[in-house]
Amino acid sequence: MAIPVIWLGTSMTWYIIFMGPIDPATRLLSEGQVRNPAAYEAAQTQLGLNQPPLQHYVDWLSSLIVFDLGRTWLLYQGSSVNALIMDFLPRTLWLGFWSVLIAIFIGVPLGFYAGMRSNTVADYVASMGGIVWRAMPNFWLGIMLLAVLGSSQAIFGFSWEAIGPNLTSGISGNPDLSYMAGNPIAFFTNPNATLQAIKKVAPAAIVLGSASMGNEMRIGRTAVLEVKNQDYVELAKVKGVSDRALVYKHILRNALVPLVPIITSEAFLLIGGSVLVESVFGINGIGYLFFQAAIQGDLPLVGTLMYVFILMIVGINLIQDVLYTLIDPRVGLEGE
Amino acid sequence: MSVNGSRVADAFTDGRTALWALVGLFLFLLEAGAVLNFVVSLTIDGLLAIPGVDAVGFLTAVENAVREIPTLLSRETIPNQGYFDGSGYEGTFLGLSPAMAWAFRATLVYLYAFAAFGWGVWGYRIYRREYRAADWTPRDDVFDRFRGHKWGIFGLVIVFMFVTMAVFAPALGPTTVDQNMRNSYGHEIDYWDSDSGSVETILVGDANLDSLSQGNDQNVEPWTYDDYGRFHPFGTMQDGSDLFTFLVVGSRISLVIGVLSVALSASIAATLALTSAYYKGRVDLSMVLVSDAVMAMPQLLLLIMLTTVLRESWINEVYSGGFLLALIFAFTGWTYMWRSIRGPALQISEREWIDAARSFGQRPTTIMRKHMLPYVTGYLLIYGSMTLGGAIISIAGLSYLGLGVAPPTPEWGRAVNLGQDYVRTGSWHISLIPGILITLVVTGFNALGDGIRDAIDPQSDSAGGETAGAGGGA
Amino acid sequence: MSDTLLEVENLRTVFHTDKETIHAVDGVSFDVQRGETVGLVGESGSGKSVTARSVLGLVEEPGVIEEGSIEFCGDELVGGNWDEHRGDIAIVFQDPMNSLNPVYTVGNQIKEALRIHQGLRGQAATDAAIELLEDVGIPDAARRVSEYPHQFSGGMRQRAVIAIALACDPDLLVCDEPTTALDVTIQAQILELLDELQREEDLGVLFITHDMGVIEETTDRVNVMYAGEFVESAPVEELFDDPKHPYTKGLLASIPGRTAGGDRLPTIEGEVPTSTSEPTECRFAPRCPHAFDACDEVHPERIAVGDPDADHETACLLYDDEFEESPPEDGVVADGGETA
Ligand code: SF4
Repeated sequence: MAIPVIWLGTSMTWYIIFMGPIDPATRLLSEGQVRNPAAYEAAQTQLGLNQPPLQHYVDWLSSLIVFDLGRTWLLYQGSSVNALIMDFLPRTLWLGFWSVLIAIFIGVPLGFYAGMRSNTVADYVASMGGIVWRAMPNFWLGIMLLAVLGSSQAIFGFSWEAIGPNLTSGISGNPDLSYMAGNPIAFFTNPNATLQAIKKVAPAAIVLGSASMGNEMRIGRTAVLEVKNQDYVELAKVKGVSDRALVYKHILRNALVPLVPIITSEAFLLIGGSVLVESVFGINGIGYLFFQAAIQGDLPLVGTLMYVFILMIVGINLIQDVLYTLIDPRVGLEGE
Repeated sequence: MSVNGSRVADAFTDGRTALWALVGLFLFLLEAGAVLNFVVSLTIDGLLAIPGVDAVGFLTAVENAVREIPTLLSRETIPNQGYFDGSGYEGTFLGLSPAMAWAFRATLVYLYAFAAFGWGVWGYRIYRREYRAADWTPRDDVFDRFRGHKWGIFGLVIVFMFVTMAVFAPALGPTTVDQNMRNSYGHEIDYWDSDSGSVETILVGDANLDSLSQGNDQNVEPWTYDDYGRFHPFGTMQDGSDLFTFLVVGSRISLVIGVLSVALSASIAATLALTSAYYKGRVDLSMVLVSDAVMAMPQLLLLIMLTTVLRESWINEVYSGGFLLALIFAFTGWTYMWRSIRGPALQISEREWIDAARSFGQRPTTIMRKHMLPYVTGYLLIYGSMTLGGAIISIAGLSYLGLGVAPPTPEWGRAVNLGQDYVRTGSWHISLIPGILITLVVTGFNALGDGIRDAIDPQSDSAGGETAGAGGGA
Repeated sequence: MSDTLLEVENLRTVFHTDKETIHAVDGVSFDVQRGETVGLVGESGSGKSVTARSVLGLVEEPGVIEEGSIEFCGDELVGGNWDEHRGDIAIVFQDPMNSLNPVYTVGNQIKEALRIHQGLRGQAATDAAIELLEDVGIPDAARRVSEYPHQFSGGMRQRAVIAIALACDPDLLVCDEPTTALDVTIQAQILELLDELQREEDLGVLFITHDMGVIEETTDRVNVMYAGEFVESAPVEELFDDPKHPYTKGLLASIPGRTAGGDRLPTIEGEVPTSTSEPTECRFAPRCPHAFDACDEVHPERIAVGDPDADHETACLLYDDEFEESPPEDGVVADGGETA
């Protein structure tokens, strides 16, 4: 299923961009150049648009398949797209990784907690908080969080900047990941730099993960409530399984099952949301790159990036299937 | 309600129904002007949209004529814009202070709206008790269950207030978009100059320049007057215009785009789901493929890409780009709804009455419409309500980025953007308030969706599964 | 050690909901001896499952045991003392689908009980688990032990559940409709298995079912439950030979093959009422074919009836000398009043 999906998605992208109402070539040129037939011609040829559409389509697709992504036109003019992506992608991955992690490590336990203590005040507070938290628009939440962190001295009596690792260049912006370049082990061997990079990206990650966190909480709570009343939990209790083991072995493990698709489908939200969050927090990630390319009219770059996103999402789906088989023995690998 | 002629006649001889109709008429007369105005201006917007149509002159005349009809809740009947002439207020309703006059009008608007709502419920009750042939239908249970669903009622109230805000936008704002933003140099206001002790006149545009909210030394906070005696319930924006007016009018475009896009994607989703459930097999498979492919492109990115590509096309002129936005939403958003109703649709297609209908030669489209559609409409309602919240967030997100709804038209996301630079200053309200409103409205739509789901399908678990509602994905 | 395993006295379990308080179990008393099978029979909603859950300490919010005592081997359990006797009372639930945790292997779940109650670990536990599976009649147990519940058929799953129960080395086994969810042929096998195990291990069994046929086959003593109360208790033969309470008669009459002549099965019309308040009348009165005036005004007490040696009790005003009406003559209700 993965291959046809990638193909179809990419083809749609191609159609929207190259067959749409806008001539990509004109968008790439400045006012003066458009009127210059030679320059226009050159742009057309460069994009391959002077070929018949089918030919162009095949060319475009095949160069994507071999990751020959060409060069940019407007944005960072003339730089290699491959290099650009390699430069921007890690920051987005870093952000995405922590936002998934933070969401899971806050949302799921909170949801489980609320489920275990259903209909107590703690449950109501947590559930209500989750609902509201989920309804907040990311971009707004980001702005507010930045404002609060920026004035944390006045509001909480301590300064966000002062606790933990030092941030040299303000509370938002690009995390410095260069220390890991070509040496991923540095993640562990250079904890200071790692912590710095985490702290830098933490507010953005929390915001990006906000919707997921709320969802995970809610689903986690329902799952626990449901599992709690299953016969097998009662049977285990009758067996004399201790309360602790009951919760950890019999309830939580089963409650995780419905969370798997949620967590991975959140990845969709994360990738989409990264555009807004990266804009708010000034992170030069791939979402931000996409947005800039769209705004400035570098349509070929938009198409290429969309291809990358499609690959990422299909990849996440595959991971989801694997995760499923790990957690739930009822799902065999043979099922699709 | 399809009550035939004789029954209508019967109806009016019955006291209660007559009373009901009278109250309805009264409520309508109070607002007849506003209703017509709303209809006419929407038509004009619609017609302007179609390229090459130039019959707008006539309609504008109609619009002006309609404006003349007195309505209770208009700014003309209860004016709040006046000035202090040294001893009292001139030009405001009953000489109240502008704040009080405005609050009075806003309260009336909401009272009116709730009264109209109550009237509708009352009418339904009368119908249910006296005119409907059946004593009981399954739908009654649904209503009763919803009535007992506190969370759903909460959602309904929030949503209803939001809709009221959108519908009565022109009457709710302390000033109008035209006077305060679009054409501020074409309007004048009188104000009390305490230095000279006299009433002076100034262009609104100039007055705005003196009531900017740009930080600590220049700021008009919520619930205060500016230097020209104008009242600002939510303070002013960074360019000195009134934030409340901006937001109220912005709610209209959010609602219209939201409803339009959800309605469109619901119809696409329903059509496709029924088709794939009816034919199954290869048709179903290819639709799964298409929807997966569309879903593989993150919705927000697809939105950005499409708005960019279609920015210069003519549809983008329609309703400040709102119509295009709704179309794009529908195109990108149907997949999620399709996914959710495909399952139920498949189940229904297994039922015997479908085979029966097929066996006596009923046309497929008729089978789908008459025998399958009614069973999935409930689901459409649930997911529709939940998607609406998401659509509102996404619209705001796009306009925050400067895409989507074109700039002079107010939109909530843009207010957040405009106020972004001042959040840490005294002018925090510009970003904060629209964000809170979005959160509230989205929560409301989600709650309403929860309520409808529990009312329609009490067996479904109260918070679970795929109906996780609209998250703040944008 | 005394032979009385379980002694339940005047048990009242109620559920507090927003609107009302439901008296699910309203003052029942019974006991279970070692080696004895005691049946609880009644329609769904009569409170028999809640009785079982009360005995096992599984009643949870909003339910609460309000009154009464449950003594196991002389120890009072009410008040949260179940933990000391965990494993001594085992349960087999109705739906084997739900009583096994789907994410662990069957062996894992048996071994969990073995570890807790017999201190077995590692290979010893695995061997013991396989042995248990063999005992309950699962073929190829060595392979089956590492399979997941979804790989088992319904009957096999129920056997596995019984194996788990045995792994706890219980004295008392509570069977809550253990065969209802199974096919008829498999039902018989499971009943046979339970019977066999009971004799081998000298277990006390509390057997809950709505099926009079199963009751006749498996139990020694029967308690007939209606709307939270025991309306009749008697040894099984006595009950089947000489039922006293109109409800019992109705239940017996609805067993296929028992009604003489008629080709339609009599059914008792109506359903079990939910008890929300102290009874001032006979709760069965609205459905009772023999109801008379007093039935709406007096709550019947349990009185001894039938064979004086048989410990036969019923709660019906027909047998109370204070009231006029006399009991119907024939043993089986067949006057058509309650046939459909
Ligand atoms: S007490 Fe009366 S109503 Fe109750 S069972 Fe006996 S005869 Fe029937």
